[in-house]
Amino acid sequence: MHRRLFLAAAVSLALAPGAQAHHSFAMYDQTKVVTLRGVVKAFLWTNPHARVLVEGAPAPGGPPELWSIELSTSPGNLGRMGWSKRSLAAGDKVAIDINPLRDGRKGGSLKKAVLVDSGKTLTTTPVAGQVGYRPDAK
Amino acid sequence: MRIRPLALGAALLALTAAPTVQAQAPETNPAPTARDWAELARLPDWSGVWIPEPYAPAKTPPTWRPEAARQVEIQKAEDAAGRPRNIYIDCLPEGMPSFVIMNLNTTEFLFTPGRVTILNEFDGNRTRRIYTDGRKHPEDPDLTFNGHSTGRWDGEALVVDTVGILPQTFLPLGQSIGIPNNGDMHVQERIAIVAPDTLRFDLVIDAPKVLAAPWKISRVFHRSRERARDIVEASCRQGDFYEDVDGDGNAVFRPIPLTEGGAPLPPEPVPARKP
Repeated sequence: MHRRLFLAAAVSLALAPGAQAHHSFAMYDQTKVVTLRGVVKAFLWTNPHARVLVEGAPAPGGPPELWSIELSTSPGNLGRMGWSKRSLAAGDKVAIDINPLRDGRKGGSLKKAVLVDSGKTLTTTPVAGQVGYRPDAK
Repeated sequence: MRIRPLALGAALLALTAAPTVQAQAPETNPAPTARDWAELARLPDWSGVWIPEPYAPAKTPPTWRPEAARQVEIQKAEDAAGRPRNIYIDCLPEGMPSFVIMNLNTTEFLFTPGRVTILNEFDGNRTRRIYTDGRKHPEDPDLTFNGHSTGRWDGEALVVDTVGILPQTFLPLGQSIGIPNNGDMHVQERIAIVAPDTLRFDLVIDAPKVLAAPWKISRVFHRSRERARDIVEASCRQGDFYEDVDGDGNAVFRPIPLTEGGAPLPPEPVPARKP
């Protein structure tokens, strides 16, 4: 599945601006939370932000489409919150709360992910007892 | 003009003396002695992984010059409208003072004779070298992102002086709000453990091209000794790529599409290949 996706990605890069690396999360609408229900296609454990590709819909019964969901921080910090590269895997059924992109494109920042089969919840909030920080600090 | 014998003699003397000057030994970094290594044990214990508190510049905001203040207001409005103008782009090092005050990940300290080394996880695992061997700043330093740092121990505190910073490094208020220092920046730091497992950097940032007064700002870090929180490798742009396999079967990275602000977008579907 990856290969075909990625060839297309390379082609559409022409639309992208200069490399942003670490970036503000202001392009996500932080006043709005949408629950995306679907299946994980890939979990990308990458710096500076991990990402998850989900095929799903933001409304029940909606047509499944591919969404790119960004986590607000890096594997190093996520590891300190209890995540690992195996926290999500292709094929997992999920319900993911996101702040969607303001422009309506199929991207969002992850607020909470629930694994449907196990009921396990994942967030990017620092775990209890851990010193807090806001990776997307302004 | 008549050449006087005395002047001629002095000139000849100067010529013969010149090779002696050229042969002067270059400055060296002497090999540390057993005593140098032993003395490190007398320094405060800064081992472990240090996790920063949230960056909160609003508590002690800089006093901008009017032109910089005008630009900051525009940046804030753009960010609030969902059009962030990111300041850390193209994988360039964040540089000073962002290395300390905008660090979003963990940090650690290494003490070796004559030097303190600060290693950040943030983005490309950036490094600062602070010379504590008594040297001075170069008279005409090459400008760099983190500048040239010298330090001395004042009791339990490390006092650091940094110059030679590139004019393009930002005075950041966030990832999309900040003004380049524009040159001649001087950063003074006092770094010390101020409570159990709590370390604070107190900075005085003098950036005369953009600030009306030196900016005093602090950053607090908390120590962790849990191995699960050790510093890991962190690259700054891996997230701009997907993992893929090329036509020769090699593992490669492929660029992904991004929004103008740098958010990743899903790859576009590819039409099915004809059988």
